[in-house]
Amino acid sequence: MNPVDLLGKIIEISHSNLDLSSRLSAILNIISQDMQFEEVLVYTLDKDKRLTCRFMNPKSILFKMLNQYRCHVGEGIIGSVAQKRTPQYFSIKDISPRFGCLFYPELDGLLENYRTFSFLPLADDSYIYGVLVLCSVSKESLQGPERILLSILSREIGGILRSFELLLSSKKRISELAMLSELGKVLISNVEPHELIKNIALIIAKSLNATFVTIKLEYVLLKLDSQRFTYGIIDSSIQDYIEQLEQSAVKLLRPASLRNSALDQFEGTFKFTLYSAPIASKNRVLGTITICGEKTTQPHILEEDGQYIINTIANYISSGLENTLLNTRLRDVVRELTDAQKRLIEQEKFRSLGEMTANIAHEIKNPLVIIGGFTKRLAKRTHHEPTEDKYINIILKEVDRLETILNEILNYVRESPSLADECNISDFLDEILYLLSTDNSWEQIEIAKDFDPTLPAIPCDSQQLKQVFINILMNAHEAMQGRGKITITTKLVSYNNQPFLSVSLTDTGGGISPGILDNVFNPFFTTKEKGTGLGLAISHKIIANHHGHIDVENILGKGVTFTVYLPLKNNSTKEEFL
Amino acid sequence: MKNLRVLVVDDEENIRLLFKEELEDEGYAVEIASNGLEALEKLKNSNFDIVVMDIKMPGMDGIQTLNAIKNTNKDQPVILCSAYGEFKQDFSSWVSDGYVVKSADTRELKQTIKNILHLQ
Repeated sequence: MNPVDLLGKIIEISHSNLDLSSRLSAILNIISQDMQFEEVLVYTLDKDKRLTCRFMNPKSILFKMLNQYRCHVGEGIIGSVAQKRTPQYFSIKDISPRFGCLFYPELDGLLENYRTFSFLPLADDSYIYGVLVLCSVSKESLQGPERILLSILSREIGGILRSFELLLSSKKRISELAMLSELGKVLISNVEPHELIKNIALIIAKSLNATFVTIKLEYVLLKLDSQRFTYGIIDSSIQDYIEQLEQSAVKLLRPASLRNSALDQFEGTFKFTLYSAPIASKNRVLGTITICGEKTTQPHILEEDGQYIINTIANYISSGLENTLLNTRLRDVVRELTDAQKRLIEQEKFRSLGEMTANIAHEIKNPLVIIGGFTKRLAKRTHHEPTEDKYINIILKEVDRLETILNEILNYVRESPSLADECNISDFLDEILYLLSTDNSWEQIEIAKDFDPTLPAIPCDSQQLKQVFINILMNAHEAMQGRGKITITTKLVSYNNQPFLSVSLTDTGGGISPGILDNVFNPFFTTKEKGTGLGLAISHKIIANHHGHIDVENILGKGVTFTVYLPLKNNSTKEEFL
Repeated sequence: MKNLRVLVVDDEENIRLLFKEELEDEGYAVEIASNGLEALEKLKNSNFDIVVMDIKMPGMDGIQTLNAIKNTNKDQPVILCSAYGEFKQDFSSWVSDGYVVKSADTRELKQTIKNILHLQ
């Protein structure tokens, strides 16, 4: 076949859409048949820059042996051609060439059959992709035109290898980009921090085909249940390595890697490569991300560009975590604000309702006093029929009841407390408990006290405060039907960065049904047969006037906890009341 | 006790009547006034051992009247009387000699008068 036809055929194959090895072996086969080379072999560079015999013409005999050995660039004839990028031609007259870094005694015998050996670099202007090897039994030597043709062919094969490598690396870049875009999506989403980190580990592990990805958080502000998030399974034998690696990454503030090459020789041992990168933000280490690849499945993740991508990811995650951190803070602040707003609305509702109630109560009070007063006068008169006496007594009793209700209402309406008293809350509670304990109905109620002895005295209106705690305790008593346990806890807490004293009172009265929980502080709301529905409303108001608040926590089936918060310092001015 | 004179000041006619009758039953000589100005007028013209006065009245209220009375004669005993308990805390009521929450039960009022006048 003439060289033009040969080239035409080869170009046709090289532009076909067959896969790389089919194309190469077809080309090598044509060269072998048309140019009478018994062996046409292609060495390519592996990831670790070692030359390996990967492709051959179908009838090759040497391939089986040659592909068991690998050599570095510069080693042996193959390595030297790759290094110098100039072709080398040998004939039978020369000493048979060393193919690689090793002597192959069994090869020496085989090589004796060949008369010529040709080695051509597969390279372009900047990179070497491999070496083309041709051995011939029949040819004494290679002529000029043949050498020219071979050099053209080697360029063509080099081109095929080059475009294949470009394809591979662009595929890799695309998958990295896809991963980064996936990560981006997760990072800007509003998921909870632990979901976010779990998703990150999953995406990285899937994209890099890692055995596992584990993210450990050093920064505690995120308030997560767990500090480590892992996708995949960590082999227990390498647990210690991971921790060491993480520690050094954190300490040095740069990535650290580990490869258990020492264990390579043992078949069946877990062969791994570990890479740990710090997740740092503004010189503060938020955590580490550690990636493990088994050498057999995915050796490339620890190559230089793999490391680059992991460092990029670590940066990504750190900004994501920072965002989440800010987000969490923001959410907390919003929640606090919403709480405060709710409380304000509540207070306003109570205030206007209070004013209205006061007016009504006042208007009713006078007629009631008149009715009651004159009925009493009527009662003093002698000579009543028994039924008349009965009716008069009913009127008096009802007037009395109405007066009690009105007094409670008017009390409720009463505005600012004097805050003139200094009160030690522990002593104060003890006093109230003593008062209650004198009543027989409290005999079967166990009181558990957990008082913080270091609490300072607070300014308050002790009469009003007493009313609040008695109210809550009486409600508990009633809910437990006189039998159960009340736990009282006092402690120092912080609310909106202000120091507060909290008193929690927990009963075992079975809790409040959820439907009415929202109403317990509303005036005139009651579940009792003889209640005015003002007890908790008044308590709420008194505490609000003390610049504190009451929270109620309900565990249905168990009990209720009322927590009274009182500010340590009276940081309001009188004007705020008006 | 016939000689002890009480002035009841209230804008509500039937309250005046109730207090008058209740106190007369106790043996006091009771006169009434329906507002602060009328009360000041009566105090100017004659002597009363004690004044029982509502706080919430139209025009001149009980506190203002109380101050006017005490300015003229700081030894004139005055009992303030109101539907509200809250004025007890109000310093402006402190100059009064007693404070009674209005009730159909007049025993507290009667006892307060006795205490102030040192009876029993």
